[in-house]
Amino acid sequence: MNNSADSSSEAEVSSEFPYLEDESVVAVQRGPEPGGLGGAYRAFGETLRGLKTTFARIVEGPVTIQYPEEKTPVYPRFRGRHKLHRFEDTGLEKCVGCSLCAAACPADCIRVVAAENDPEDRVSAGERYAEIYEINLARCIFCGYCEVACPFDAITMGHEYEIADYNRDDLIFTKEMLLAEPLERTPLRREGE
Amino acid sequence: MPDPPRITLLVDGVEVEAPHGAMLVDAAKHGDVEIPVFCYEPKLGHPVGACRMCVVEIEGIPKLQTACSTPVRDGMVVYTQTERVKEAQSAVVEFLLVNHPLDCPVCDKGGECPLQDVAMGWGPGRSRSVDPKRHFQKPIPLSPLIKIDRERCILCYRCVRFSQEVAEDEQLQLLERGSSTFVGTFDNRPYIAPFHGNIIELCPVGALTSDAYRFRARPWDIEDAGTVCTLCPSQCNIKLTVRDERIERVLARDNVDVDDGWLCDKGRFGYQMAESGQRITEPLIRAGGELRPAGWAEALEAAAAGLREAGERTAAIVGGSSSNEDGYLAQRIVRKALGSPHVESRPSGGPGVESRRTGGRGPAGFLRQGLVELSAPRLAASVSDLDRAESILVLGTDPLHSMPILDLRIRKAVRLRGARLAVATDRPSVLDGGAEETARYAPGFVGGFVSALAAELGAAGYERARGELGADAERIAGALKPGSTVIVWAGPDARGLVGCARALRLEEDGAGLIEVPEGANGRGLREVGCLPVAGPGLSDVEQGLDASGIRDALEAGSLEAALLVNADPIRDFAGGPAWGEALGKAKLVLAVSMFEDASTRQADVVFPAESYAEKEGTVTHPDGRLQRLRPGTPHPGGVRPMWEVLAELGALLGEETGVESAPDALAAIASEVPFYAGISHEEIGGTGIRWQERAAARYWPRVDDVGARDEVPGREVEPAGRTAPEPGDTGGRAEDVDGVIRVGTYRDLWAAEVTDRSPALRFLAPRQALELAPRDAARLGLGSGHEVEVRSNGTSVRARVSIHERVKPGSGFLIEGLGDRAASLRGELVEISKAGEPE
Repeated sequence: MNNSADSSSEAEVSSEFPYLEDESVVAVQRGPEPGGLGGAYRAFGETLRGLKTTFARIVEGPVTIQYPEEKTPVYPRFRGRHKLHRFEDTGLEKCVGCSLCAAACPADCIRVVAAENDPEDRVSAGERYAEIYEINLARCIFCGYCEVACPFDAITMGHEYEIADYNRDDLIFTKEMLLAEPLERTPLRREGE
Repeated sequence: MPDPPRITLLVDGVEVEAPHGAMLVDAAKHGDVEIPVFCYEPKLGHPVGACRMCVVEIEGIPKLQTACSTPVRDGMVVYTQTERVKEAQSAVVEFLLVNHPLDCPVCDKGGECPLQDVAMGWGPGRSRSVDPKRHFQKPIPLSPLIKIDRERCILCYRCVRFSQEVAEDEQLQLLERGSSTFVGTFDNRPYIAPFHGNIIELCPVGALTSDAYRFRARPWDIEDAGTVCTLCPSQCNIKLTVRDERIERVLARDNVDVDDGWLCDKGRFGYQMAESGQRITEPLIRAGGELRPAGWAEALEAAAAGLREAGERTAAIVGGSSSNEDGYLAQRIVRKALGSPHVESRPSGGPGVESRRTGGRGPAGFLRQGLVELSAPRLAASVSDLDRAESILVLGTDPLHSMPILDLRIRKAVRLRGARLAVATDRPSVLDGGAEETARYAPGFVGGFVSALAAELGAAGYERARGELGADAERIAGALKPGSTVIVWAGPDARGLVGCARALRLEEDGAGLIEVPEGANGRGLREVGCLPVAGPGLSDVEQGLDASGIRDALEAGSLEAALLVNADPIRDFAGGPAWGEALGKAKLVLAVSMFEDASTRQADVVFPAESYAEKEGTVTHPDGRLQRLRPGTPHPGGVRPMWEVLAELGALLGEETGVESAPDALAAIASEVPFYAGISHEEIGGTGIRWQERAAARYWPRVDDVGARDEVPGREVEPAGRTAPEPGDTGGRAEDVDGVIRVGTYRDLWAAEVTDRSPALRFLAPRQALELAPRDAARLGLGSGHEVEVRSNGTSVRARVSIHERVKPGSGFLIEGLGDRAASLRGELVEISKAGEPE
């Protein structure tokens, strides 16, 4: 902008500071001190420029979402709280307690204890079932590796993200909680939305 | 044995040095080349080349060769990565997977499965198979402890080979042919054998799974904790599989110098005892006739007060599962703090104890002399010496029951090395079948037999026996090769062994004695001073009473307090229920016990005991190997380390031990036991170290130092090994007396607390049985299954008759350790009367 001013001031400075020739010394450059009119422009001009945007948007109306009364819809592949599934026809649990999800989990938040099925009173379709299936959601990082690891599509990531609680212990979800049909409180984003 | 010469071969272009005669699979490992295998397992003996997974190309041989059964030769050129090899290996995997179900997620082997690993590493990656797979009924029990899934089986023969060639029970077979081949037993009978749990570990797929471990954990859920099993003197090295601080299974931790990588079922399934919910987990004090929970401070104070009052009228019984540290501290408290010499760890005596007729209380000099001579480092054989010995004598014990892993080791020596086996026992032994010579002597006459054997071997000072005994001894002597014999022996009265050892030149390399002690850590406890006749390091001490002496003294009131460290004398010691009365009379019984048992019912103070899975300390193997117990699981409830409790008890009684950690306790032992000098946990390490191989072994007491000094006035000390067979020791021809049988006893493998406390093993708990020869049974009018009463001197035991062809006429056998009085009948002439008809 004002190259000539710079070079002239530099020349002035160099006569005052004999060290300037040493390249290690860096001179601080300042713009000109604003005068009375310039100061007024600084105080109001930029503000008005900002307000122009504000007033231009007023006609569009507010975009605030009134959470929790209102919710953002999530994408279909959103990774929320896990769900365990049953076979629709037989009602048996899909999970056989193989613990592969626990092996895949980088946060080490899944605990599976398997047991043998009683052929008279089956819990799952295979020889074994998960007697205990717990996910500590306080540790979970919602990476979805458990879903990928599952050989029986027994665990999937749901859409629910409102998991906060007052007590860490309540964040350990048991098999019954994960199997239960969750209250679908999260709206799903429709195609093209 | 000299190491075989080393040769060089070329594997994939890399020069590899390997021992001559090694199989190519093993040799390739020296050059970091892995050749995949399924059926190959060196522990099983000769390779069979059944699975064809290990095929490689060898220069000069047109066809592919199995690396597991091809010994290497100098200059051999081998390729393991050529297209031809890869194609063949991938085809083998594909064929194996044709019928293998893809149920890895439910299979217990998943994650630790060689088939998974090999299929990933060498398999084709995709299946081309579209046809239905072979189907079997699954899973079905192969035995009460093992389930078999035949669909998963890849027919590698490992389990069948184990059954046929290692355990030699010959129950498992491959049945049918071709694609319908399956593993099973004749007529689908359950596979019941004492070592059959090993096939679970051998199976390279999930076809054989442990019923107790079924679905309990996956490999990534668990931690391995290496320790030593202290359920019997074998002291096998084990790995505990721990999940969520609970033991879920036990695996072998191969140690060729101890167990060869095998475990017995007691060790494999006995872990359930440590996890039992019935364990005592806090100190108990008797108040108003009932045991009530108390804090440690209160219980220790109560125990200390009682012991202080009893003072030198205290006796300690240290049970066989105690560690060296427990035993050492217990004897130190009793000897030093209380001034009592009565410390015992042997349920029925040990080497050098005189025969029953002198009441088991011979002069101390001889007792120590016998110990010092027979356990001397120069006469000690190691377990691996059995592999090299040209002849083996099993004397007075049936290793299957007393030290099970030794049974497999002896079978291996006979099968693979052609060792000549001689068995001399009172009761027919399971090793008889493979023995070149067997001899039976009458129960209780082992001393006479050994002396006769020494005479036949030409030892000076022994008289040759006449008649059957002499002939038997001569046959046995003929089977033994001087300079290369290992004698596996047990029994209280074996003085003649000193003569045998001299005549057989057992001091030579690769020959020697292995004594099977009664307790799991019998040898260690003896060496740290839990003997009435010797202190730590078999040092000279004031002589105390032995087990039966302690019992009598408690009964008579001359002893007032008893300290029972991991011991249940009512179950385990001779006299059985008589101990109950004796303990009942004691003013203070301090029991350290895992469970409420017959002895804790008489106890005034009970300290909860640790299980072997929680213990930290050392034990000494019968061949002198010091091994480390490492804690694998935390102590349940208020259980505390025993060394800590005993050190505190000692401090309360005024004996400051300075022991503040397990290594301190070992250091205290090492400072008092000269031949353990300087030993530390680090030196013992994971596989243990035999003290005979350390420099400190030269501090073993000298034989001439003993004896003279320990002479007890009024009793003549017989020089060891000079005793001729006692009169009447002609083999005990008891059958001349009508209706009278001489009874011997044996400790059945399963007559142990661990059987009752482990749900998986409970079905094996034995019932008292009287084994009789067919002739005696006929003469007494008894049939198999008859209930009888066996009586002598007012002691009677009820038993069920079981007739055995190989029992010596005139002998009968009862099982010890079942809580009845059978052990008191050992060596007695008994009357037998019918008590009921067969059920």
